[in-house]
This record gives sequence, C-alpha cells and structure tokens, in this order.
Amino acid sequence: MSEEAPYVRKIDRRTALTWIGVVGAATAVGAGVVVYGPKIGGEPEAKGYGTDPKLAKPEKAPWPRLLSDEELQAASVLSDFILPASGGAPAASALGIPDFIDEWVSAPYPDQLKDRPLIRDGLKALAKKSTAERTAAMTALRTSGDAFFKRFRHLTIGAYYTTEEGFKDIGYIGNIAREVDEGPSEAVKAALDVQLKKLGL
Amino acid sequence: MAAAEPFDVIIVGSGAGGGMSAYHLTRSGLKVLMLEAGRNYDPVTETPMFNINAEAPLRGVGTPDKPFGFYDATVDGGWQVPNEPYTVAEGSEPFTWWRPRMLGGRTNHWGRISLRFGPLDFKPRSRDGLGDDWPITYDDLAPWYDKTEKLIGVSGAAPPRNLTNTPDSPDGCLMKSAPPRAFELFYARAFDAMGIPVVPMHGAVVTEKMEGRNTCLFATPCGRGCSIGANFQSTTVLIPPAMATKNLTVVTNALVYQVDLDKGGKAKGVSYVDRVTGEHHSVTAQAVVLAAGSGETARILLNSKSTAFPNGLCNTHGMVGRYLMDSVGLGVDGQFPALEGLPPTNDDGQGTQHTYVPWWGYDKHKELGFPRGYHIEINGGRRMPSMGLSGLLPEDETSVGDDLRGKLRQRFGSTIGFDGRGEMIPNDDCYCELDPTVKDKWGIPVLRFHWKWGDHETRQAAHMVQTFLEVIDRLGGKPLGKVETDGRKAISKGGEMIHEVGTVRMGASDADSVVNQYGQTWAVPNLFVTDGAVLVSSPDKNPTLSILALAWRSSDHLATLAKQGAL
Repeated sequence: MSEEAPYVRKIDRRTALTWIGVVGAATAVGAGVVVYGPKIGGEPEAKGYGTDPKLAKPEKAPWPRLLSDEELQAASVLSDFILPASGGAPAASALGIPDFIDEWVSAPYPDQLKDRPLIRDGLKALAKKSTAERTAAMTALRTSGDAFFKRFRHLTIGAYYTTEEGFKDIGYIGNIAREVDEGPSEAVKAALDVQLKKLGL
Repeated sequence: MAAAEPFDVIIVGSGAGGGMSAYHLTRSGLKVLMLEAGRNYDPVTETPMFNINAEAPLRGVGTPDKPFGFYDATVDGGWQVPNEPYTVAEGSEPFTWWRPRMLGGRTNHWGRISLRFGPLDFKPRSRDGLGDDWPITYDDLAPWYDKTEKLIGVSGAAPPRNLTNTPDSPDGCLMKSAPPRAFELFYARAFDAMGIPVVPMHGAVVTEKMEGRNTCLFATPCGRGCSIGANFQSTTVLIPPAMATKNLTVVTNALVYQVDLDKGGKAKGVSYVDRVTGEHHSVTAQAVVLAAGSGETARILLNSKSTAFPNGLCNTHGMVGRYLMDSVGLGVDGQFPALEGLPPTNDDGQGTQHTYVPWWGYDKHKELGFPRGYHIEINGGRRMPSMGLSGLLPEDETSVGDDLRGKLRQRFGSTIGFDGRGEMIPNDDCYCELDPTVKDKWGIPVLRFHWKWGDHETRQAAHMVQTFLEVIDRLGGKPLGKVETDGRKAISKGGEMIHEVGTVRMGASDADSVVNQYGQTWAVPNLFVTDGAVLVSSPDKNPTLSILALAWRSSDHLATLAKQGAL
C-alpha cells in the first residue's frame, strides 16, 4: 500500500463530549472529529453499561477509548487489508471498524480485557513499520497464522457483517416485518433437492 | 403504596406462575396485590425490535452485565444479581442460577417452546421405579393445557400423530407454524432415514389471526421480548387483562423474604424489603400465593421461621428445597457443504424453531442404558449475522479480501446447531438450603445449592452427542469445534438450562410432599405455590407451559375456596 489515508474517528458529537468529560485531555475540533491525548495511567477500569441499559435506543458504549492515533491508524490499515472495498461493498475503515476495535479493546469486561494486550501489542508493532513495509508485514502475519492477526480478523469480520452494508454483502435479507412467512421459495427447494439427492437422502 | 387496602390474595412474583395466578384470580373477582422483586417493565416501549447489532455496544455480544447479549430482554439480572448473592456448597458440582429483576420475570426473554408433558411424565415411578409419581395424571391437566394454549397463543398445529408420550393438542388449541425453512427441510431427511419423526414445534407465538392479539411479524428475535405482544410474555398477555379488571395492584422492587403467620397458624401476609429504599414493609391478605421462582420460593419458606416451624415454613419434614431438578442440556454445531450457496432467502421465521424432534426411544431404554429421553431443538438458516460470524470458516483459514468475502457468502447459512434437552431424575444430591453465613444486602440469608448429575443424566448426555454426530455425518457435514463425547464432561451445569424446578413439590400426602395437587401447602391451608417449585418430575419438555397450566388449575381451586369462604 503506497498511499495511506489518515483514519478519522467516526463517532458522534455526543460521545465526543462524553469523552471530553471523562478523559479531560480531549478536544473537539469539528463535527465527528476528535483528537485527544493518551489515557492518564493508573486509574481503575471504567464502568460498563450496567445491568439495565436502554435497549430500544442504545447509547454508545460509555467507557473511554484507549487506542492512540497510531494504533488506530494501524487498525485502519489492517482492517482494510482484511476487508478492502470491493465492488459496491465499502472498505472496513469506511464502516468505522477501527472505532469498533477501539471500543472493544477499551471495554472493561473480561473477554475484551483478555483481547486488549494481544490487539494493542499487535497494533503497536504494526504502527512501527513504515508505510512501505506494512503490506509485507501484514501478509507475513496472515500466512504465519499469527494469534493477533487471527483475533483481529475475527473482530473485523464480526464488526463488518453486523452492519447493514455487511448484511448486503453476505446476503442477509431478513429483519423486515412480514404479514406471512411463506417459507423457502421453489428455487431454494429445488437447489436443496439437488444436494439431498447427492447425499442419497 | 396500597398496603392499607384489603386484599384477598397476595401473589409473590409476576412471571408464568404469578402472572397466570393474577390473571385468573382478578378475573374471578378477587382483589390481588402482586409483589415483584424487580422494576416495572414496559415491553411496548422498551423492546429493541429490529435493532441491529451494529447499534449496540460491542455489537451486542454477551457481557457480565448482559450475559445473553445486549438485546436480551432480561433487566438487572443474569447468572448474578447485584446485591443478591447465592452460594454453591463445597464439593458440589457447579450450579448456576438465572434471575431477572423485572415485571414479568423470565417470561420476557424465554425460548417460547411450549410442549405438553405427556402421560408417562406424570407417573415416572409407576413406569420404571425411578423418581416419584405426581398426584395428578395427564388427563387431570389436559383441560388446563387446552385453555392455556388458547389463551397464550401457541403454534404447532398438525394432524394427530399419536407419538408416545408426546400429546397432540385437540383441534382449535394450536395455530399453524410457519413453514419449515431450508435447513429444517434438510435435517428432517436425515432423521427420516433414521426412522425418527420430525414434527412442528409448539411455540408460544401468534402465527395466525387471533382475537385481541397481534400476529407475529416473522422477524426480530423473541428473546428480546415483543413490543406488539405477538409472543407470550406475562407482561403482554396476563398482566394487562388482570389490570383491566381493576382488581390488581402491582408493587415493584418488592423483594419478599417471609410469609407472616397469624396466631392460628394461617398465613396473614408477607414481609418484603423495597430494593430501592431498603425499607421493610408487611402486607396482609386472606391468602398468599408464592410464585417467585423455584429457588426464591423455597428461600422465602426457609426464611419464614417461627416456633411452630423452626426450620422454615412447611419444612417440618425437611422437604423444602429438596428434589431440585434442571434439564439435561448440550449442543453440537455442524457445517454442511450441501447448504452452501443456496439462493438468499429470509430465514428469520417465527422466533421459535418451526420443527423439532420429540424423544423417539421410549421402547428402547433398556438397550440404550439410560432411563429417560430428550428432545432436540435445532437452529440454523441465514440468520442476522453476529460477532461470531467468523465461526463459519474453518479454524486454520486466514483468507482476506474478495477471497474472504466469497467464502463467507458461500458458507453463510450453512451451519446448524443441535441442542438436546433431556429429563433429569431427582436425586438426593441436588437441593438448596439456606447458607449458614452469607446474607444479601438487606441481611436476609441466601440460598446455598448442592448439585450432582446422576449417571442416568450423563449417559443420556453422551447419547445426545452420538446422535448429533450421526445426523451431522448423514447430512455430509462436519462438526464445528472440538466435540466432547464424555457425557459427564459434555453435560450442562446444574441450573444452566434455566429449568430449575421441584423445590416445593406436590404429592398425595404431607409425608412426601410440601403441597397438594392444587399447590396448596399441607401445613398452611391459605398458602399456595404456583411456580415450577411444585413440579414432581422434570421431563424433557420445557416447563413453562406446564407451570402456566398448573397455576391456572391451582388458582381456580383457590378462587373456589375463596367463594366458599373456606380460606
């Protein structure tokens, strides 16, 4: 990758203002763009969203984000290495996947705390590579079955395909109200029958 | 606070048992006070219908705050409830206890699977000498199953099949299920080849036009609850009509810890602590119904100590907390090349499975080597993607870009999960009691659980695994992940199936039970139990429908006694 677009956080202003309150060092510099300093070390883990969060209109995850701009940039490059734009489907970074990675590794829950050092160390290492070295580095991670790469890829795939754009790409066409459920179409049944015959069923 | 009003009946709990009791008693003209430990809950405004995972923190994955995922309907609960601990005895196998703290209880998030117990399920000891017989037969409960199905709305209508111990509902009780989806048509062929029937699931979902109810939209998971009330939850189907009678008063955040007795030894009311303010209250009525859930109901009785009942109310024979049961559970997932690349189709369905596999081996138990069976709940299809999506891919797979997109598209909808739910026979090692030292935030002693699966259950679990592996193989698939074939290792934890029942069981006399066939306690005639605590056995069929039918039958008896002035 010779050209590398700087990743811009895709968060809403309300969350930005929350972070200013929590982190203190943050500065809002315009719609949807926040630049903020590193987390002050030593403070306890932030609280989760609690046992009774609003479900119908969820609020953004309340914990402060931990990734530095460099880590976030590495997350952007790596998520786009895994899922670059293709035809009408956007690249991972265009869907804000790096922000999600930040939300995930910053979360105060056990599964995410377990991922935090793995993901952050991997991103830091990647961030140290020059732009010219990164593609080779990412390819090496991929082919060696690197643990950080595998986990990052798992998170990227999950984050990407849980969006409307991801639904479209994978062919999920549900989540719409219907008067009746007519069941599978004749085309689906016919395709299934071909397979069942092959299995002798 | 309505404590000054004269109430006929106090109901503790608002889930399946409490909701049904309130529904029938208020409609019988009795003034009812319902006490719910959790907060008020309004499914109409609070249900996350149609929300996608991208809108939720962490894409909706389960966390200690929301163990079944962000959108699960459960409020202030899960395997742990803040300020309300429980303990598991040293040397016990693991036990875990799911509790919500919300109006409607677990009916807001439950799986909606609504299978009748069969004739054999009520007479296990007569059948093979294991467990104990109920004081009632299937025929005693059948009319109440009919009424319950018609009231709550259950799908699964099919021509009568006369399968052993798998009752067909009479005409007019059930609605038609949505048609089987591609994966359901697919797996049915393997079971056909094995000679095992696949039948429509009975699900508490309104799938056809029904007076006073909305029909399912065939989208958005039932576990989130339903803002249009198209599935059954106490908060949409039972509590609103009870409120409409103007005979129901509901007090929330009321954690009941004790049944209060009068000098004559009858129940005069209950005491509770307000979970928000910490204030203690006592309320009175002509009768008390406990429906707090099998664990909590037992806890209330055990904490109700008096000179007459030094070991807890109704516990003279040490039976409260005994015969605790759960369902045997485990699952195996498979991936099937034959389902790859099918044309996109909308597999959201009606929330429950559309078909299932009832237990088929009633005449084979001797050769099988375990005495009781299980049914199979099977999930699959092109469902809304979650964070676990990459589980579709082989473990060593590391493709990226168009290669990755293509593989995911190809394999989307090609996995099927097989889950067994089996009967557990009660044993002496499974029970709950008061912990001698641990108390909750308000100083009330908490439950301590004891658990040990018997060989009957672990052998059944091993058979589940073998069955699922055979089905997966016949369908040309491969199991996903490592499959544990040792039944003792593969079996669920105690309580994990959230079918804990049987701590205050019913029986024919006070020598071997705590309540009679109407949930009326032997020791205190105006004290009733209408939740899963009264169950004598824990058949493979999920308990909620039976809890509802029993609660209706018991409430009818209570209402009759009230009319006769016999309370």
